Amino acid sequence: MSWWRWIWLDLLSVVKDRAIALTLFGGISFYAILYPSPYLNNVPTAQALVVVDLDHSALSRQMIRHADANPGISVKGYAASTDEARQWLIDGRASSMLVIPEDFRHKLLRGKQVTLGYGGDASYFLIYSAVVQGLTQAGLDIGHQVQLRGLLAQGTNPTKAEKSLDAISLNAVSVFNKGLGYPAYVIPGLFLLILHQTLLIGTGILGAGQWRQHGYWHQLSPLAIVLCRIGTFTLLYCFFSAFYIGWCYYLYGVGLLASLGQVLLLMLPFLLATACCGVAFSTLFNRRDLPTQVLLLSSMPILFVSGFVWPLTLIPQPLVWLSQLVPAVPGIMGMLQLNQLGADWSQLLPRWLQLWGLLALYLPLAWWGVHRRCKQLALTAA
Amino acid sequence: MWQLLQREFHALQRDGWQLALISYVPVLGFLFLWWLFSAALPQQLPVALVDEDHSSVSRELGRYIDANSVAEPIAYTDIQQAVAAMRSGEVFAVVRLPYALKQDLLTGHKPTIDLRYNGQFLLVGKLLSSQLQLTLADGLQQIARAKQLAAGVNPAQVDVRLTPVAAQSTALFNRNMNYVGFLVPPMLIALWQLVAMLCYANSLSRELREQSLAHCYQLGIVRVLAAKFLFYTPLILLHGMLLLVMMYGYLGLPMAGNLLWLLPAQLIMLVAVWLWVQAMFFVMADSARIISMCTGLFAPAFAFMGITFPTSNMPLVAQWWRALIPSSHYIETHVAIVSHGQGLLTVLQQSTSYLGFLLLLLPAWYFARRYGRALYPERQASGALL
Repeated sequence: MSWWRWIWLDLLSVVKDRAIALTLFGGISFYAILYPSPYLNNVPTAQALVVVDLDHSALSRQMIRHADANPGISVKGYAASTDEARQWLIDGRASSMLVIPEDFRHKLLRGKQVTLGYGGDASYFLIYSAVVQGLTQAGLDIGHQVQLRGLLAQGTNPTKAEKSLDAISLNAVSVFNKGLGYPAYVIPGLFLLILHQTLLIGTGILGAGQWRQHGYWHQLSPLAIVLCRIGTFTLLYCFFSAFYIGWCYYLYGVGLLASLGQVLLLMLPFLLATACCGVAFSTLFNRRDLPTQVLLLSSMPILFVSGFVWPLTLIPQPLVWLSQLVPAVPGIMGMLQLNQLGADWSQLLPRWLQLWGLLALYLPLAWWGVHRRCKQLALTAA
Repeated sequence: MWQLLQREFHALQRDGWQLALISYVPVLGFLFLWWLFSAALPQQLPVALVDEDHSSVSRELGRYIDANSVAEPIAYTDIQQAVAAMRSGEVFAVVRLPYALKQDLLTGHKPTIDLRYNGQFLLVGKLLSSQLQLTLADGLQQIARAKQLAAGVNPAQVDVRLTPVAAQSTALFNRNMNYVGFLVPPMLIALWQLVAMLCYANSLSRELREQSLAHCYQLGIVRVLAAKFLFYTPLILLHGMLLLVMMYGYLGLPMAGNLLWLLPAQLIMLVAVWLWVQAMFFVMADSARIISMCTGLFAPAFAFMGITFPTSNMPLVAQWWRALIPSSHYIETHVAIVSHGQGLLTVLQQSTSYLGFLLLLLPAWYFARRYGRALYPERQASGALL
């Protein structure tokens, strides 16, 4: 049997196997919609705020209007005391509170410092940071206005007054994910992980079902079987990758800084190494429902150890070393560097070589596994 | 019933993977995730500092950044190198103190300090951005204070002049902004839900694998299902309790309410998971496909919990999907008890949100009956329910 014919039969058995087809074709298209769906609104907006206004002055009302005008905050109501406001938070009616002290306006006009109190439910970090950021900005605006009024009242020239208020401007800008959107943060890494895990599941289910029986899959030498199966899945995943990294990245507005050639060059060892790892992995199973289970449980740890959710510098070193054996880890980081951070190829080279190294590591393991399975089959047949 | 329970026990003894699932696999998973986040508070994140001024002012600002525990400044002489380091992910932010910073300050011009932070790593980027801005603002305030004093402002007035409105922000329910307290509980619950789903699915699939479904109908399918429920629920609940004890007992994460009230909440969640698996089992009747479908449903549970991204900001379709996953109902009770110190009443109130899961009994019942008829056509004539 020629290699091409073998690969063709392999592709047919992938498509005909309902469990694999469901995981690969169904899973890939389903997850492309499902995973990003919670984050489609990009940034948290209009978080419910309850106000405790103990001052009831024009200035305190102005402060509340400033806060309400901030996109991150929406004033939901007023409470008479901090205890009542706390109850709002506990009941889930609000996620944060603003306390304006009793003598807010009076003190400010007399040139004394006042302290505003912000509180937010820090069980939810994104909400908390959105609220604190919004309230700090509103507080600064009010402070700025009061200062300006004071200076103008002293007869300072308006231009000079503006200038003397901020002697230095601080220009803080987010780069690479300019809008600080959640999809652009999660999707690039997550999609590569989905490709990685479904590829491993596909090879796993197929292998677990095949190795114990005779069929077209045993008509080549173990090495040829391994190479052909890597070929089958790499071919199939070229299309899936094009769908994810091409169409879906574009659809969800994820950064696309790399050139097509660079992406292809990175995806090649990523897919080859993953497929090879999958073949090696598939020889461990006798039951078709097991590969999915093992990989399902490993997904979350791999996602978090890949370094884009939680920084690598904070992850214990042994875990980082261990994770380097998983093709998804250099794959995700490489793709992030290339496509999201716009790194040069030279900066990416270590990860690219690592992926080839993983292929070289898993190839003998896959060969050994398939060889062992072939021998077992021959023994039981005899 | 006792015999049915024994039947489950013997089946468990024969199945190596199932044994692993109820013993060391979840423990390893829990330990791995906890160890991963054991740093708890982000510290010493590398930041590129490009000092083009080399003046006393710029050095002073550099010392301020160094004093912040979150940032670890690394000196770069050239902005290009700093940008390259940021592109390769070696540093998470670049601070550039421009040439003639001090001179501009002294001569009344308005210099600009550039701070670029990596928004691609959202969690770290946002944290560094706020920390660096606060630190630089502190440093600049010291310089501005000196300027005010030099201009003859009364020392008592300087603070008011600089910041008339000060802010005191309090992180309620998670005082020190601990990432372990924030991320690890929902992650472990998502993992626990997966283990629960797998255990029950395996236990049901075994009847298909060993072709003993007909035997189950003989024994009475409802009784067999009840036996599986009685057998696996305490085992998985034990995992759930272990998880809670590990997080709130051993690790000492803050706990405002009573840990015991989480037990009924976990039980209700498990019943919802069982209902899903049972429905999938009767509809699909193929072990690999049951696992695939349940995986599709439960794998993204963490994203839908609403802890990392607020539920209120999710699109409607995502909110509907969220309602299908039992853990998203549970996590609300969990937060209410752990963070807000609520009691049993909340558990009971929130448990009504699970009622929809009872609808899953309909497809399960319909398909179970169909199998029953296929396996025992004579049962149909006798009008047996299942």
